[in-house]
Amino acid sequence: MKKINTMVVFLVIFSFFLVAQTYGTEKSLLFHAGLGQRMALNEIKEVFEKRYPDTKVNFSYKGSGYFIADITRSEQGDLFMPGEEFYLLQAVERGFLTDYNPKTDVPAYFVTVIITPKGNPKNIKAIEDFAKPGIRVGLGNPKSCAIGIWHEKTFKKAGIWEKVKANATLSAKCIPELGNATQHKAIDGTIVWATTAVLYLRDVDIIPIEYRYRGIIRLPVGVLKFARYREEAQKLMDFILSEEGRGIFQKHAYAVNPGIPIGKEGFCLDGTTDKFMEYLVNAAKAVKDESFPVTKETVGDLAEEVLRQRKTERAGD
Amino acid sequence: MNMALGSRGGWWPALCVGTAVTIVAVYLLLVASNWIYLGWHDTLYFFSKSRMWERFWLTVWTSTVSTSFSLLIGIPSGYALSRFRFPCHHLVASVIDLPIVVSPAVVGAFLFGVTTRFPFDWISEYYGVYIGRNVYGVLLVQFTVTAAFCARLMKASFDMIPTRFESVSRSLGASPMRTFFKVVLPMAKNGIIASMIVVWARAAAEWEGLMLFVGATEGKTDIMPFAIYLDWNGGMMGWVTSMSIVCILMAVSAITAMRMIGGRSNVW
Repeated sequence: MKKINTMVVFLVIFSFFLVAQTYGTEKSLLFHAGLGQRMALNEIKEVFEKRYPDTKVNFSYKGSGYFIADITRSEQGDLFMPGEEFYLLQAVERGFLTDYNPKTDVPAYFVTVIITPKGNPKNIKAIEDFAKPGIRVGLGNPKSCAIGIWHEKTFKKAGIWEKVKANATLSAKCIPELGNATQHKAIDGTIVWATTAVLYLRDVDIIPIEYRYRGIIRLPVGVLKFARYREEAQKLMDFILSEEGRGIFQKHAYAVNPGIPIGKEGFCLDGTTDKFMEYLVNAAKAVKDESFPVTKETVGDLAEEVLRQRKTERAGD
Repeated sequence: MNMALGSRGGWWPALCVGTAVTIVAVYLLLVASNWIYLGWHDTLYFFSKSRMWERFWLTVWTSTVSTSFSLLIGIPSGYALSRFRFPCHHLVASVIDLPIVVSPAVVGAFLFGVTTRFPFDWISEYYGVYIGRNVYGVLLVQFTVTAAFCARLMKASFDMIPTRFESVSRSLGASPMRTFFKVVLPMAKNGIIASMIVVWARAAAEWEGLMLFVGATEGKTDIMPFAIYLDWNGGMMGWVTSMSIVCILMAVSAITAMRMIGGRSNVW
Protein backbone atom coordinates (compact mmCIF):
# COMPACT_ATOMS: atom_id res chain seq x y z
CA MET A 1 0.00 0.00 0.00
CA LYS A 2 2.82 2.37 0.98
CA LYS A 3 4.36 1.65 -2.38
CA ILE A 4 1.26 2.76 -4.29
CA ASN A 5 0.92 5.87 -2.18
CA THR A 6 4.48 6.96 -2.87
CA MET A 7 4.07 6.10 -6.51
CA VAL A 8 0.92 8.17 -6.91
CA VAL A 9 2.45 11.12 -5.07
CA PHE A 10 5.54 10.89 -7.23
CA LEU A 11 3.50 10.77 -10.43
CA VAL A 12 1.43 13.78 -9.44
CA ILE A 13 4.49 15.84 -8.59
CA PHE A 14 6.17 14.73 -11.78
CA SER A 15 3.19 15.77 -13.87
CA PHE A 16 2.83 19.17 -12.21
CA PHE A 17 6.48 19.77 -12.83
CA LEU A 18 5.99 19.05 -16.51
CA VAL A 19 2.84 21.12 -16.83
CA ALA A 20 4.51 23.98 -15.01
CA GLN A 21 7.06 24.36 -17.77
CA THR A 22 6.28 27.75 -19.18
CA TYR A 23 6.74 29.04 -22.65
CA GLY A 24 9.81 31.07 -23.47
CA THR A 25 9.75 34.40 -25.20
CA GLU A 26 10.38 32.91 -28.61
CA LYS A 27 7.79 33.28 -31.31
CA SER A 28 6.53 30.00 -32.63
CA LEU A 29 4.89 29.85 -36.00
CA LEU A 30 2.15 27.35 -36.69
CA PHE A 31 2.68 25.93 -40.15
CA HIS A 32 -0.08 23.83 -41.72
CA ALA A 33 1.78 21.59 -44.12
CA GLY A 34 0.84 18.51 -46.12
CA LEU A 35 2.33 15.22 -44.94
CA GLY A 36 4.12 14.77 -48.25
CA GLN A 37 6.29 17.85 -47.76
CA ARG A 38 7.63 16.63 -44.44
CA MET A 39 11.20 15.77 -45.44
CA ALA A 40 11.85 18.97 -47.35
CA LEU A 41 10.13 21.25 -44.85
CA ASN A 42 11.94 19.75 -41.87
CA GLU A 43 15.19 20.64 -43.56
CA ILE A 44 13.95 24.15 -44.27
CA LYS A 45 12.91 24.53 -40.64
CA GLU A 46 16.39 23.57 -39.50
CA VAL A 47 18.12 26.12 -41.69
CA PHE A 48 15.57 28.82 -40.90
CA GLU A 49 15.71 28.36 -37.13
CA LYS A 50 19.47 28.55 -37.23
CA ARG A 51 19.25 31.84 -39.07
CA TYR A 52 16.50 33.34 -36.88
CA PRO A 53 17.06 31.76 -33.47
CA ASP A 54 14.12 33.55 -31.79
CA THR A 55 11.58 32.15 -34.24
CA LYS A 56 10.46 28.54 -33.95
CA VAL A 57 8.56 26.70 -36.63
CA ASN A 58 5.89 24.24 -35.50
CA PHE A 59 4.46 22.04 -38.19
CA SER A 60 1.02 20.62 -37.95
CA TYR A 61 1.40 17.79 -40.44
CA LYS A 62 -1.86 16.29 -41.59
CA GLY A 63 -3.27 14.95 -44.81
CA SER A 64 -4.10 17.92 -47.04
CA GLY A 65 -7.80 17.11 -46.88
CA TYR A 66 -7.90 17.76 -43.11
CA PHE A 67 -6.73 21.33 -43.32
CA ILE A 68 -9.75 23.22 -44.55
CA ALA A 69 -11.82 21.85 -41.68
CA ASP A 70 -9.08 22.69 -39.20
CA ILE A 71 -8.53 26.24 -40.43
CA THR A 72 -12.22 27.02 -40.82
CA ARG A 73 -12.97 25.95 -37.30
CA SER A 74 -9.90 27.15 -35.44
CA GLU A 75 -8.92 30.26 -37.42
CA GLN A 76 -5.39 29.57 -36.28
CA GLY A 77 -2.13 29.25 -38.08
CA ASP A 78 0.51 31.37 -39.75
CA LEU A 79 1.45 29.55 -42.93
CA PHE A 80 -0.26 27.08 -45.20
CA MET A 81 1.35 24.74 -47.73
CA PRO A 82 -0.95 21.91 -48.78
CA GLY A 83 -0.08 19.14 -51.21
CA GLU A 84 -2.00 20.66 -54.12
CA GLU A 85 -2.92 24.15 -55.29
CA PHE A 86 -6.58 23.08 -55.15
CA TYR A 87 -6.60 23.10 -51.33
CA LEU A 88 -4.95 26.48 -51.17
CA LEU A 89 -7.48 27.89 -53.60
CA GLN A 90 -10.22 26.61 -51.28
CA ALA A 91 -8.64 28.67 -48.52
CA VAL A 92 -8.44 31.69 -50.82
CA GLU A 93 -12.10 31.25 -51.72
CA ARG A 94 -13.09 31.30 -48.06
CA GLY A 95 -11.02 34.39 -47.45
CA PHE A 96 -8.34 32.79 -45.25
CA LEU A 97 -5.61 33.91 -47.61
CA THR A 98 -5.88 37.38 -48.98
CA ASP A 99 -2.71 38.02 -50.91
CA TYR A 100 -2.10 34.84 -52.89
CA ASN A 101 -0.22 35.51 -56.09
CA PRO A 102 -0.23 32.42 -58.33
CA LYS A 103 2.72 33.75 -60.34
CA THR A 104 5.23 34.14 -57.53
CA ASP A 105 4.09 32.03 -54.59
CA VAL A 106 4.93 28.59 -55.95
CA PRO A 107 8.30 27.37 -54.64
CA ALA A 108 8.13 23.83 -56.01
CA TYR A 109 6.34 21.43 -58.31
CA PHE A 110 5.51 17.75 -58.36
CA VAL A 111 6.34 15.88 -61.57
CA THR A 112 4.61 12.62 -62.48
CA VAL A 113 6.65 9.46 -63.15
CA ILE A 114 5.90 5.76 -63.59
CA ILE A 115 7.09 3.39 -60.89
CA THR A 116 7.21 -0.40 -61.11
CA PRO A 117 8.50 -3.05 -58.70
CA LYS A 118 12.25 -3.66 -58.81
CA GLY A 119 13.29 -5.20 -62.13
CA ASN A 120 10.09 -4.07 -63.87
CA PRO A 121 8.66 -7.61 -64.27
CA LYS A 122 5.89 -6.61 -66.72
CA ASN A 123 8.26 -4.48 -68.79
CA ILE A 124 6.33 -1.22 -68.63
CA LYS A 125 8.05 1.41 -70.75
CA ALA A 126 5.40 4.03 -71.46
CA ILE A 127 1.93 4.91 -70.28
CA GLU A 128 0.35 2.98 -73.20
CA ASP A 129 1.61 -0.23 -71.55
CA PHE A 130 -0.87 0.24 -68.70
CA ALA A 131 -3.67 -0.64 -71.14
CA LYS A 132 -2.21 -4.08 -71.96
CA PRO A 133 -4.27 -6.98 -70.64
CA GLY A 134 -3.01 -8.62 -67.45
CA ILE A 135 -1.19 -5.63 -66.01
CA ARG A 136 -2.15 -4.92 -62.39
CA VAL A 137 -2.45 -1.15 -62.20
CA GLY A 138 -2.74 0.90 -59.02
CA LEU A 139 -4.95 3.96 -59.33
CA GLY A 140 -5.65 6.70 -56.84
CA ASN A 141 -9.21 7.48 -55.82
CA PRO A 142 -9.85 10.94 -57.33
CA LYS A 143 -12.22 11.79 -54.48
CA SER A 144 -9.60 11.46 -51.79
CA CYS A 145 -6.23 12.22 -53.35
CA ALA A 146 -4.83 14.47 -56.02
CA ILE A 147 -2.90 11.70 -57.76
CA GLY A 148 -6.21 10.04 -58.63
CA ILE A 149 -7.29 13.11 -60.57
CA TRP A 150 -4.00 13.05 -62.43
CA HIS A 151 -4.32 9.35 -63.25
CA GLU A 152 -7.65 10.02 -64.87
CA LYS A 153 -6.39 13.11 -66.67
CA THR A 154 -3.27 11.40 -68.01
CA PHE A 155 -4.90 8.19 -69.22
CA LYS A 156 -7.80 10.10 -70.72
CA LYS A 157 -5.37 12.25 -72.65
CA ALA A 158 -3.73 9.08 -73.97
CA GLY A 159 -7.19 7.70 -74.84
CA ILE A 160 -6.79 4.51 -72.78
CA TRP A 161 -8.72 5.41 -69.59
CA GLU A 162 -11.39 2.70 -69.96
CA LYS A 163 -8.83 -0.05 -70.54
CA VAL A 164 -6.63 1.11 -67.66
CA LYS A 165 -9.64 1.27 -65.37
CA ALA A 166 -10.41 -2.34 -66.24
CA ASN A 167 -6.84 -3.26 -65.27
CA ALA A 168 -6.97 -1.48 -61.93
CA THR A 169 -6.57 -3.74 -58.89
CA LEU A 170 -6.06 -1.05 -56.26
CA SER A 171 -7.93 2.15 -55.53
CA ALA A 172 -5.64 4.08 -53.21
CA LYS A 173 -6.84 6.70 -50.76
CA CYS A 174 -3.46 8.37 -50.50
CA ILE A 175 -0.31 8.37 -52.51
CA PRO A 176 1.95 6.43 -50.09
CA GLU A 177 -0.43 3.53 -50.51
CA LEU A 178 0.58 3.36 -54.17
CA GLY A 179 4.26 3.53 -53.26
CA ASN A 180 3.95 0.84 -50.62
CA ALA A 181 1.96 -1.43 -52.95
CA THR A 182 4.62 -1.13 -55.63
CA GLN A 183 7.38 -1.72 -53.10
CA HIS A 184 5.72 -4.94 -51.98
CA LYS A 185 4.98 -6.04 -55.57
CA ALA A 186 1.21 -5.91 -55.08
CA ILE A 187 0.83 -3.99 -58.36
CA ASP A 188 2.85 -4.01 -61.58
CA GLY A 189 3.01 -0.28 -61.99
CA THR A 190 1.47 3.08 -61.29
CA ILE A 191 2.03 6.78 -61.70
CA VAL A 192 3.14 8.85 -58.71
CA TRP A 193 4.91 12.15 -58.03
CA ALA A 194 8.68 12.08 -58.35
CA THR A 195 8.88 13.11 -54.69
CA THR A 196 7.04 9.93 -53.71
CA ALA A 197 9.03 7.76 -56.10
CA VAL A 198 12.31 9.02 -54.65
CA LEU A 199 11.40 7.59 -51.24
CA TYR A 200 11.40 4.04 -52.60
CA LEU A 201 14.58 4.08 -54.67
CA ARG A 202 15.78 0.76 -53.34
CA ASP A 203 12.62 -1.18 -54.12
CA VAL A 204 11.20 0.37 -57.30
CA ASP A 205 12.26 1.15 -60.84
CA ILE A 206 11.52 4.61 -62.17
CA ILE A 207 10.40 5.15 -65.74
CA PRO A 208 10.05 8.73 -66.99
CA ILE A 209 6.85 9.60 -68.83
CA GLU A 210 7.02 11.05 -72.30
CA TYR A 211 6.79 14.83 -71.85
CA ARG A 212 3.36 15.18 -73.51
CA TYR A 213 1.86 13.16 -70.67
CA ARG A 214 4.18 14.40 -67.93
CA GLY A 215 2.16 16.36 -65.38
CA ILE A 216 3.52 19.32 -63.45
CA ILE A 217 1.65 20.07 -60.23
CA ARG A 218 1.95 23.43 -58.51
CA LEU A 219 2.65 23.57 -54.77
CA PRO A 220 1.94 27.06 -53.50
CA VAL A 221 2.58 28.48 -50.06
CA GLY A 222 0.80 31.37 -48.38
CA VAL A 223 0.56 33.42 -45.18
CA LEU A 224 -2.85 33.05 -43.55
CA LYS A 225 -5.05 36.03 -42.77
CA PHE A 226 -5.08 35.42 -39.03
CA ALA A 227 -1.31 34.94 -38.72
CA ARG A 228 -0.14 35.90 -35.25
CA TYR A 229 3.41 36.68 -36.32
CA ARG A 230 2.85 38.03 -39.78
CA GLU A 231 6.33 39.46 -40.13
CA GLU A 232 8.07 36.23 -39.16
CA ALA A 233 5.70 34.18 -41.30
CA GLN A 234 6.48 36.39 -44.26
CA LYS A 235 10.20 35.92 -43.58
CA LEU A 236 9.79 32.15 -43.62
CA MET A 237 7.75 32.31 -46.79
CA ASP A 238 10.38 34.46 -48.46
CA PHE A 239 13.00 31.96 -47.39
CA ILE A 240 11.00 29.09 -48.89
CA LEU A 241 10.67 31.03 -52.14
CA SER A 242 14.37 32.00 -52.23
CA GLU A 243 16.99 30.21 -54.30
CA GLU A 244 18.24 28.49 -51.15
CA GLY A 245 14.80 27.29 -50.12
CA ARG A 246 14.06 25.97 -53.57
CA GLY A 247 17.44 24.23 -53.52
CA ILE A 248 16.29 22.23 -50.50
CA PHE A 249 13.11 21.18 -52.32
CA GLN A 250 15.20 20.16 -55.31
CA LYS A 251 17.21 17.78 -53.13
CA HIS A 252 13.95 15.91 -52.42
CA ALA A 253 13.02 15.48 -56.09
CA TYR A 254 10.74 18.46 -56.51
CA ALA A 255 11.01 20.43 -59.74
CA VAL A 256 11.75 24.01 -58.83
CA ASN A 257 12.35 25.73 -62.15
CA PRO A 258 9.51 28.24 -62.53
CA GLY A 259 10.24 28.44 -66.26
CA ILE A 260 8.93 24.96 -67.18
CA PRO A 261 6.51 25.51 -70.06
CA ILE A 262 3.20 24.01 -69.02
CA GLY A 263 0.06 23.66 -71.10
CA LYS A 264 -3.39 24.66 -69.91
CA GLU A 265 -4.12 21.17 -68.61
CA GLY A 266 -0.90 21.02 -66.60
CA PHE A 267 1.19 18.82 -68.88
CA CYS A 268 4.71 19.66 -70.09
CA LEU A 269 5.04 21.34 -73.45
CA ASP A 270 8.67 20.41 -74.03
CA GLY A 271 11.54 18.38 -72.62
CA THR A 272 12.77 20.93 -70.06
CA THR A 273 12.38 18.37 -67.27
CA ASP A 274 14.10 15.51 -69.19
CA LYS A 275 17.40 16.07 -67.40
CA PHE A 276 15.65 15.92 -64.02
CA MET A 277 14.01 12.64 -65.04
CA GLU A 278 17.40 11.24 -66.01
CA TYR A 279 18.78 12.13 -62.57
CA LEU A 280 15.88 10.31 -60.96
CA VAL A 281 16.40 7.15 -63.02
CA ASN A 282 20.12 7.23 -62.22
CA ALA A 283 19.40 7.75 -58.53
CA ALA A 284 17.29 4.58 -58.50
CA LYS A 285 20.19 2.71 -60.14
CA ALA A 286 22.72 4.20 -57.75
CA VAL A 287 20.88 3.11 -54.62
CA LYS A 288 20.62 -0.47 -55.86
CA ASP A 289 24.16 -0.65 -57.24
CA GLU A 290 26.95 0.53 -54.91
CA SER A 291 29.40 0.84 -57.82
CA PHE A 292 27.27 3.40 -59.65
CA PRO A 293 28.99 6.80 -59.38
CA VAL A 294 27.09 9.39 -57.36
CA THR A 295 28.08 12.76 -58.77
CA LYS A 296 26.48 16.02 -59.79
CA GLU A 297 26.51 14.76 -63.41
CA THR A 298 24.74 11.48 -62.77
CA VAL A 299 22.15 12.25 -60.11
CA GLY A 300 22.14 16.06 -59.84
CA ASP A 301 20.85 17.29 -56.49
CA LEU A 302 19.58 13.88 -55.46
CA ALA A 303 23.03 12.76 -54.24
CA GLU A 304 22.16 13.30 -50.57
CA GLU A 305 18.98 11.25 -50.90
CA VAL A 306 20.90 8.43 -52.63
CA LEU A 307 23.56 8.32 -49.94
CA ARG A 308 20.89 8.37 -47.23
CA GLN A 309 19.09 5.37 -48.72
CA ARG A 310 22.29 3.46 -49.36
CA LYS A 311 22.90 3.36 -45.61
CA THR A 312 20.04 0.96 -44.89
CA GLU A 313 18.39 -2.05 -46.48
CA ARG A 314 14.90 -0.72 -45.67
CA ALA A 315 14.11 2.86 -46.38
CA GLY A 316 14.52 5.16 -43.42
CA ASP A 317 16.76 7.91 -42.28
CA MET B 1 -7.84 -28.55 -12.67
CA ASN B 2 -5.51 -31.06 -14.19
CA MET B 3 -7.15 -33.09 -16.88
CA ALA B 4 -5.17 -35.58 -18.91
CA LEU B 5 -5.64 -34.60 -22.53
CA GLY B 6 -5.78 -38.23 -23.58
CA SER B 7 -8.59 -39.28 -21.26
CA ARG B 8 -12.25 -39.53 -22.20
CA GLY B 9 -13.67 -36.16 -23.29
CA GLY B 10 -10.13 -34.81 -23.43
CA TRP B 11 -10.67 -33.37 -26.90
CA TRP B 12 -12.31 -30.26 -25.44
CA PRO B 13 -9.37 -29.11 -23.29
CA ALA B 14 -7.07 -30.05 -26.15
CA LEU B 15 -9.08 -27.87 -28.53
CA CYS B 16 -8.97 -24.93 -26.14
CA VAL B 17 -5.23 -25.23 -25.55
CA GLY B 18 -4.73 -25.64 -29.30
CA THR B 19 -6.65 -22.44 -29.99
CA ALA B 20 -4.58 -20.52 -27.46
CA VAL B 21 -1.33 -21.86 -28.90
CA THR B 22 -2.41 -21.07 -32.46
CA ILE B 23 -3.30 -17.46 -31.75
CA VAL B 24 -0.04 -16.91 -29.88
CA ALA B 25 1.83 -18.48 -32.79
CA VAL B 26 0.11 -16.10 -35.21
CA TYR B 27 1.16 -13.08 -33.15
CA LEU B 28 4.71 -14.32 -32.81
CA LEU B 29 4.82 -14.96 -36.55
CA LEU B 30 3.74 -11.38 -37.22
CA VAL B 31 6.58 -10.02 -35.10
CA ALA B 32 9.12 -12.49 -36.45
CA SER B 33 8.32 -11.90 -40.11
CA ASN B 34 8.57 -8.14 -39.63
CA TRP B 35 11.86 -8.52 -37.86
CA ILE B 36 13.21 -10.76 -40.60
CA TYR B 37 12.07 -8.21 -43.16
CA LEU B 38 13.99 -5.51 -41.29
CA GLY B 39 17.18 -7.55 -41.07
CA TRP B 40 19.91 -7.51 -38.45
CA HIS B 41 21.98 -4.68 -39.93
CA ASP B 42 19.01 -2.33 -40.09
CA THR B 43 17.80 -3.33 -36.65
CA LEU B 44 21.11 -2.19 -35.19
CA TYR B 45 21.07 0.93 -37.34
CA PHE B 46 17.59 2.11 -36.40
CA PHE B 47 17.84 1.08 -32.76
CA SER B 48 20.98 3.15 -32.35
CA LYS B 49 19.34 6.32 -33.73
CA SER B 50 18.50 9.00 -31.20
CA ARG B 51 15.23 9.72 -33.03
CA MET B 52 13.94 6.32 -32.00
CA TRP B 53 14.61 6.84 -28.30
CA GLU B 54 13.34 10.41 -28.30
CA ARG B 55 10.01 9.08 -29.59
CA PHE B 56 10.16 6.26 -27.10
CA TRP B 57 10.61 8.52 -24.08
CA LEU B 58 8.04 10.94 -25.40
CA THR B 59 5.53 8.10 -25.54
CA VAL B 60 6.50 6.78 -22.12
CA TRP B 61 6.29 10.08 -20.26
CA THR B 62 3.14 11.38 -21.95
CA SER B 63 1.23 8.19 -21.27
CA THR B 64 2.57 8.01 -17.71
CA VAL B 65 1.45 11.55 -16.94
CA SER B 66 -1.97 11.13 -18.54
CA THR B 67 -2.42 7.78 -16.80
CA SER B 68 -1.68 9.31 -13.42
CA PHE B 69 -4.24 12.05 -14.03
CA SER B 70 -6.72 9.41 -15.17
CA LEU B 71 -6.12 7.48 -11.98
CA LEU B 72 -6.73 10.57 -9.87
CA ILE B 73 -10.12 10.94 -11.52
CA GLY B 74 -10.80 7.27 -12.07
CA ILE B 75 -10.31 5.87 -8.56
CA PRO B 76 -12.82 8.13 -6.76
CA SER B 77 -15.37 8.08 -9.55
CA GLY B 78 -15.05 4.32 -9.98
CA TYR B 79 -15.62 3.95 -6.24
CA ALA B 80 -18.63 6.23 -6.41
CA LEU B 81 -20.17 4.30 -9.28
CA SER B 82 -19.54 1.02 -7.53
CA ARG B 83 -20.81 1.91 -4.02
CA PHE B 84 -23.11 4.87 -3.91
CA ARG B 85 -26.56 5.38 -5.28
CA PHE B 86 -27.00 9.03 -6.11
CA PRO B 87 -29.52 10.82 -8.36
CA CYS B 88 -29.12 10.08 -12.08
CA HIS B 89 -26.53 7.46 -11.26
CA HIS B 90 -27.53 5.37 -14.26
CA LEU B 91 -27.17 8.39 -16.52
CA VAL B 92 -23.72 9.14 -15.11
CA ALA B 93 -22.71 5.52 -15.63
CA SER B 94 -23.75 5.57 -19.27
CA VAL B 95 -22.13 8.94 -20.00
CA ILE B 96 -18.90 7.63 -18.51
CA ASP B 97 -19.06 4.73 -20.93
CA LEU B 98 -19.27 7.05 -23.92
CA PRO B 99 -15.57 7.70 -24.59
CA ILE B 100 -15.00 3.94 -24.54
CA VAL B 101 -17.66 3.27 -27.12
CA VAL B 102 -17.14 6.17 -29.55
CA SER B 103 -14.03 6.38 -31.67
CA PRO B 104 -11.13 8.46 -30.28
CA ALA B 105 -11.39 10.44 -33.52
CA VAL B 106 -14.68 11.84 -32.25
CA VAL B 107 -13.02 12.80 -28.97
CA GLY B 108 -10.29 14.56 -30.96
CA ALA B 109 -12.79 16.45 -33.08
CA PHE B 110 -14.81 17.51 -30.03
CA LEU B 111 -11.74 18.69 -28.16
CA PHE B 112 -10.76 20.64 -31.23
CA GLY B 113 -14.18 22.24 -31.34
CA VAL B 114 -14.14 23.18 -27.66
CA THR B 115 -10.64 24.59 -27.45
CA THR B 116 -11.09 26.90 -30.41
CA ARG B 117 -14.15 28.60 -28.89
CA PHE B 118 -14.84 31.00 -26.07
CA PRO B 119 -13.15 31.35 -23.61
CA PHE B 120 -10.23 29.37 -24.92
CA ASP B 121 -9.78 31.52 -28.00
CA TRP B 122 -9.26 34.53 -25.70
CA ILE B 123 -6.72 32.68 -23.60
CA SER B 124 -4.96 31.56 -26.74
CA GLU B 125 -4.93 35.11 -28.06
CA TYR B 126 -3.84 36.68 -24.79
CA TYR B 127 -0.94 34.39 -24.04
CA GLY B 128 0.05 33.95 -27.66
CA VAL B 129 -0.09 30.16 -27.52
CA TYR B 130 -2.01 27.70 -29.60
CA ILE B 131 -3.97 25.46 -27.28
CA GLY B 132 -3.56 21.82 -28.04
CA ARG B 133 -1.00 22.08 -30.80
CA ASN B 134 1.79 21.05 -28.49
CA VAL B 135 2.60 18.27 -26.11
CA TYR B 136 -0.15 19.39 -23.70
CA GLY B 137 -2.61 18.65 -26.47
CA VAL B 138 -1.26 15.11 -26.55
CA LEU B 139 -1.76 14.83 -22.79
CA LEU B 140 -5.27 16.22 -23.05
CA VAL B 141 -6.30 13.74 -25.75
CA GLN B 142 -4.77 10.82 -23.88
CA PHE B 143 -6.42 11.92 -20.64
CA THR B 144 -9.84 12.45 -22.21
CA VAL B 145 -9.78 9.09 -23.93
CA THR B 146 -8.51 7.16 -20.92
CA ALA B 147 -10.16 8.86 -17.92
CA ALA B 148 -13.56 7.32 -18.54
CA PHE B 149 -11.98 4.01 -19.37
CA CYS B 150 -10.08 4.18 -16.12
CA ALA B 151 -13.23 4.94 -14.09
CA ARG B 152 -14.94 1.97 -15.70
CA LEU B 153 -12.10 -0.41 -14.85
CA MET B 154 -11.93 0.94 -11.30
CA LYS B 155 -15.66 0.34 -10.89
CA ALA B 156 -15.08 -3.27 -11.92
CA SER B 157 -12.22 -3.60 -9.43
CA PHE B 158 -14.26 -2.19 -6.55
CA ASP B 159 -17.27 -4.32 -7.51
CA MET B 160 -15.19 -7.41 -6.86
CA ILE B 161 -14.64 -6.45 -3.23
CA PRO B 162 -17.39 -7.53 -0.81
CA THR B 163 -19.00 -4.59 1.03
CA ARG B 164 -18.91 -6.55 4.28
CA PHE B 165 -15.40 -5.37 5.11
CA GLU B 166 -16.45 -1.77 4.76
CA SER B 167 -19.48 -2.29 6.99
CA VAL B 168 -17.26 -3.85 9.65
CA SER B 169 -14.78 -1.01 9.42
CA ARG B 170 -17.56 1.58 9.62
CA SER B 171 -19.22 -0.19 12.58
CA LEU B 172 -15.90 -0.07 14.43
CA GLY B 173 -16.00 3.69 14.09
CA ALA B 174 -13.77 4.46 11.11
CA SER B 175 -14.78 7.41 8.93
CA PRO B 176 -15.74 6.74 5.29
CA MET B 177 -12.46 8.23 4.12
CA ARG B 178 -10.41 6.18 6.53
CA THR B 179 -12.31 3.07 5.49
CA PHE B 180 -11.59 3.80 1.86
CA PHE B 181 -7.86 4.32 2.31
CA LYS B 182 -7.25 1.64 4.93
CA VAL B 183 -9.60 -1.11 3.81
CA VAL B 184 -10.91 -0.74 0.27
CA LEU B 185 -7.84 0.60 -1.48
CA PRO B 186 -5.42 -2.07 -0.18
CA MET B 187 -7.89 -4.77 -1.17
CA ALA B 188 -8.29 -3.28 -4.62
CA LYS B 189 -4.54 -2.98 -5.09
CA ASN B 190 -4.17 -5.71 -7.68
CA GLY B 191 -7.16 -4.51 -9.64
CA ILE B 192 -5.86 -0.97 -9.65
CA ILE B 193 -2.41 -1.98 -10.85
CA ALA B 194 -3.87 -4.21 -13.54
CA SER B 195 -6.21 -1.45 -14.71
CA MET B 196 -3.30 0.95 -14.71
CA ILE B 197 -1.51 -1.17 -17.31
CA VAL B 198 -4.54 -1.25 -19.53
CA VAL B 199 -5.03 2.50 -19.22
CA TRP B 200 -1.36 3.17 -19.82
CA ALA B 201 -1.35 0.97 -22.90
CA ARG B 202 -4.48 2.67 -24.19
CA ALA B 203 -2.83 6.08 -23.77
CA ALA B 204 0.39 4.95 -25.44
CA ALA B 205 -1.53 3.58 -28.42
CA GLU B 206 -3.66 6.68 -28.97
CA TRP B 207 -3.30 8.46 -32.29
CA GLU B 208 -6.68 9.00 -34.00
CA GLY B 209 -7.58 11.80 -31.62
CA LEU B 210 -4.11 13.26 -32.02
CA MET B 211 -4.45 13.27 -35.78
CA LEU B 212 -7.53 15.48 -35.58
CA PHE B 213 -6.76 17.59 -32.55
CA VAL B 214 -3.00 18.05 -32.42
CA GLY B 215 -1.32 17.31 -35.73
CA ALA B 216 2.26 16.13 -35.83
CA THR B 217 5.24 18.21 -34.87
CA GLU B 218 8.43 16.31 -35.36
CA GLY B 219 9.94 15.31 -32.02
CA LYS B 220 7.31 17.18 -29.97
CA THR B 221 3.92 15.58 -30.43
CA ASP B 222 4.59 12.49 -32.52
CA ILE B 223 4.37 9.67 -30.02
CA MET B 224 5.19 6.19 -31.33
CA PRO B 225 1.93 5.23 -33.04
CA PHE B 226 1.67 8.66 -34.63
CA ALA B 227 5.29 8.54 -35.80
CA ILE B 228 4.64 5.13 -37.32
CA TYR B 229 1.75 6.56 -39.29
CA LEU B 230 3.84 9.54 -40.43
CA ASP B 231 6.71 7.35 -41.57
CA TRP B 232 4.32 5.01 -43.34
CA ASN B 233 3.20 8.05 -45.28
CA GLY B 234 6.80 8.94 -45.99
CA GLY B 235 7.55 5.50 -47.39
CA MET B 236 10.07 4.86 -44.63
CA MET B 237 9.41 1.18 -44.09
CA GLY B 238 12.57 0.77 -42.05
CA TRP B 239 11.34 3.23 -39.45
CA VAL B 240 7.84 1.80 -39.52
CA THR B 241 9.03 -1.74 -38.87
CA SER B 242 11.64 -0.90 -36.26
CA MET B 243 9.31 1.39 -34.33
CA SER B 244 6.57 -1.25 -34.36
CA ILE B 245 9.03 -3.70 -32.88
CA VAL B 246 9.95 -1.21 -30.15
CA CYS B 247 6.25 -0.69 -29.42
CA ILE B 248 5.75 -4.41 -28.99
CA LEU B 249 8.80 -4.76 -26.76
CA MET B 250 7.56 -1.80 -24.73
CA ALA B 251 4.14 -3.39 -24.26
CA VAL B 252 5.56 -6.76 -23.34
CA SER B 253 7.95 -5.34 -20.77
CA ALA B 254 5.31 -3.07 -19.24
CA ILE B 255 2.92 -5.95 -18.79
CA THR B 256 5.59 -8.23 -17.40
CA ALA B 257 6.84 -5.60 -14.96
CA MET B 258 3.36 -4.81 -13.70
CA ARG B 259 2.58 -8.48 -13.33
CA MET B 260 5.65 -8.95 -11.20
CA ILE B 261 4.72 -5.99 -9.01
CA GLY B 262 1.01 -6.61 -8.77
CA GLY B 263 0.56 -10.33 -9.02
CA ARG B 264 -2.77 -11.66 -10.20
CA SER B 265 -6.14 -9.99 -10.15
CA ASN B 266 -9.55 -10.17 -11.74
CA VAL B 267 -8.45 -8.30 -14.88
CA TRP B 268 -5.38 -10.40 -15.61
